[in-house]
Amino acid sequence: MTAPAFDSVVAGALREEAGIRNRRVLKACGWTAFAAGVLYFTATQIGMKPAALVAGLPFMWDFLTRLLPPDLTYFQYLVGATIETVQIAIWGTLLAVLFSVPLALLGARNTTPHILVFHATRMFLNALRSINELVFALIFVSAVGLGPFAGVLAIALHATGMLAKFCAEEAEGVEKGQVEAMQATGASKLQVILFGVIPQVIPAFISYTIYRFDVSIRSATVLGLVGAGGLGFSLIKTMKLFKYHETATCILVIFLLVLVSDWICAKLRARVL
Amino acid sequence: MDNQPTAPRTALSIRGLSKTYKGGLEALRDVNIEVNEGEFLVILGPSGAGKSTLMRCLNRLVEPTAGAIFHQGREITSPKQNLRDLRRQFGMVFQQFNLVKRVSVLTNVLTGRLAYRSAWRSLFYSFPQADKRIAVECLARVNMEHKAFQRADTLSGGEQQRVAIARALAQQPAVILADEPVASLDPKIARQVLNYLKQISRELGITVLCNLHQVEYTREFAERVVGMSRGTVVFEGVSSQLTDEVLHRIYYRDPGDADREDAE
Amino acid sequence: MAAPNVSAVASGMPGADRILRELQSRKTWRVHHLLLAAAAIAFLTWCADAVDLRPREVIYAIPVIGEYFARMWPPKWQFADNLWQPAAETIYIAVWGNVIATLIGLPLGVLAASNVTPSGVVRNGAKAILNLFRSISELIWAIFFVSAVGLGPFPGALALGMNYGGILGRLYAEAIENVDRGPIEAMQATGAGRLQVILFAIFPQALPQFVTYNLYWFEVGVRSATVLGMVGAGGIGFELVTAIRLFEWREVGVVLLLILGMVTVIDFASTYLRSKIY
Repeated sequence: MTAPAFDSVVAGALREEAGIRNRRVLKACGWTAFAAGVLYFTATQIGMKPAALVAGLPFMWDFLTRLLPPDLTYFQYLVGATIETVQIAIWGTLLAVLFSVPLALLGARNTTPHILVFHATRMFLNALRSINELVFALIFVSAVGLGPFAGVLAIALHATGMLAKFCAEEAEGVEKGQVEAMQATGASKLQVILFGVIPQVIPAFISYTIYRFDVSIRSATVLGLVGAGGLGFSLIKTMKLFKYHETATCILVIFLLVLVSDWICAKLRARVL
Repeated sequence: MDNQPTAPRTALSIRGLSKTYKGGLEALRDVNIEVNEGEFLVILGPSGAGKSTLMRCLNRLVEPTAGAIFHQGREITSPKQNLRDLRRQFGMVFQQFNLVKRVSVLTNVLTGRLAYRSAWRSLFYSFPQADKRIAVECLARVNMEHKAFQRADTLSGGEQQRVAIARALAQQPAVILADEPVASLDPKIARQVLNYLKQISRELGITVLCNLHQVEYTREFAERVVGMSRGTVVFEGVSSQLTDEVLHRIYYRDPGDADREDAE
Repeated sequence: MAAPNVSAVASGMPGADRILRELQSRKTWRVHHLLLAAAAIAFLTWCADAVDLRPREVIYAIPVIGEYFARMWPPKWQFADNLWQPAAETIYIAVWGNVIATLIGLPLGVLAASNVTPSGVVRNGAKAILNLFRSISELIWAIFFVSAVGLGPFPGALALGMNYGGILGRLYAEAIENVDRGPIEAMQATGAGRLQVILFAIFPQALPQFVTYNLYWFEVGVRSATVLGMVGAGGIGFELVTAIRLFEWREVGVVLLLILGMVTVIDFASTYLRSKIY
């Protein structure tokens, strides 16, 4: 390339760059203004004021000093609640596994007996997923009374929604070749599902179940806030009695329980996959 | 640029360079190389010979265990050497191009200017006009200015490598280190890329060190060749001296050498 | 039929006989299998008993629960007029919760990523803080903030921000650790400083992941925000609790349907946006 030609190419590209840059800056300004507007509006709607936060700092500090140090002697009263929390999570997850296998097969396009069944199942699962387990727990506490039973059912329903949807999507994503091979042998539809689809889904299903169990533990720690058993109940009870040092112990135990369950579940999942 | 065959000045001198990695792998053993100002030097050797480690010692992405490197008479391996100043003078081109795929070609080239600019200005992803001019000029040198505003991942491999060359050029370096620049490209594109590198070396007087493992490209492009095998220099000369005997020396390996390969 | 043929071949070959025998022996239950199964069943039974999950109670409970859901029908539609404002508030809480979570998670996530932060002390410190934020449920955070800044949606947003800040921070750190190393090395080779490497080599690569995570956890945040009202931290949860306490089941039905609709719309929007990112 000759020198003048080179210079004009460079000048052209630089001009184009300036144009693109201006447009981009304008666009960025527009989006920033939009986002700022949305955030400002929502902030005023929910009464978010930095001043309120600053004014609240002494109260937070006060609350913290009342919490700390945790009353470690209270720990012995929490052993039972901790075990109950784990038990709720275990049975909640187990029931969810039992419910979600048939629901997943009904809710996957390639295994459902009818397209209407597919849509109905998916809608039902979405409803289960959308409603927080605490909402279920509240309703069940009214229906079957206070206690861990309501918590188990609440976790089971919510987890079924999650687990079945995940499993259905996995079933839809299976490798076609294996399914075709099975059909080619003349296997019935049920046989194809049993030997062609399910074996492919199992590792992911187990891994997700373990993940779900971890989430269930987390949920089970707060179900007690609405009277559905576990550590959350001790938490809210000690708070209502203004025994904040004991509340702090509850929070500490919840923290440790979640940490341990997180660690164990991560290890288990690494072994499954 | 005059290409008079006057007595060449030494650009880089590598003396007694050794590198042993933490696991005990000896990648370089007492390497001595003199590189002339403005030359196109090919370092030839099989993978695992220590070529990549040698290059990374030059811009100190890897710290050598022993030995010294002098650039224009100054020791760059001394602990007092400012890394930012050092790396600015060495442009680097990689086998896998190493462009940031989701940003534009021009921005990728502009990152070659980062070492000249303060971190605070970078915070706003803005560059001075002068840098943009340099970047566009570098792109025009490798005939990629027409794709300046495309995302890097829309380009073919050869185009990405040309952009990577432009990025190295944008540093206004004294030396370009090309680490297997054509190993991921097909032969036609590979020759094109090597041509660009050679042309840059000739026109701008930039010293180019180029790692290659293919003998035919070396014969075609090298002005001078350094042959490496198992961490040591086994040959130094011009490409016409690459006889079968020399190649045997470079590529021969003991049967027990296989495990060296995956370490590099 | 080919089957008799095949089995004739199989029994005629000693190799096949061995394999069949092996299959047979694999199928038999060993003592330790039985013990393990018995232990598992005993453990689960013990758990079930502890959480009142007994066949009799389950059989009793199912119709009762069905009846409670039946009481929600038909929904008392006019009650929806009282719900628009709390429903909007729920979404605002989720929006600000997400913003606060990003403000908390981003710096901590960067500090917790091993390819950015070389100092082990800083890294583990950041991880410990993220773990603390993550492990404590948003409801417990909400109780804490309500006691600090009073009832209302603001503590709700703060609570979501803390909990999801811990979650997002950990995900951000993983996304940062998983970026392609090549561009980082290239950037270091040009002489760019640490901050410049983060800005030009790491962020552009990790950004799509960040946005995906934010959108997904915004969805989850909306679901969480629907219950924050139970502890006085704003949103539609308060109306829900009140309706349940007053046994206004037809109103509960409306709240549930509204939550369902809201979550579904946001799920769709978020899934659509996530599919747009590349």
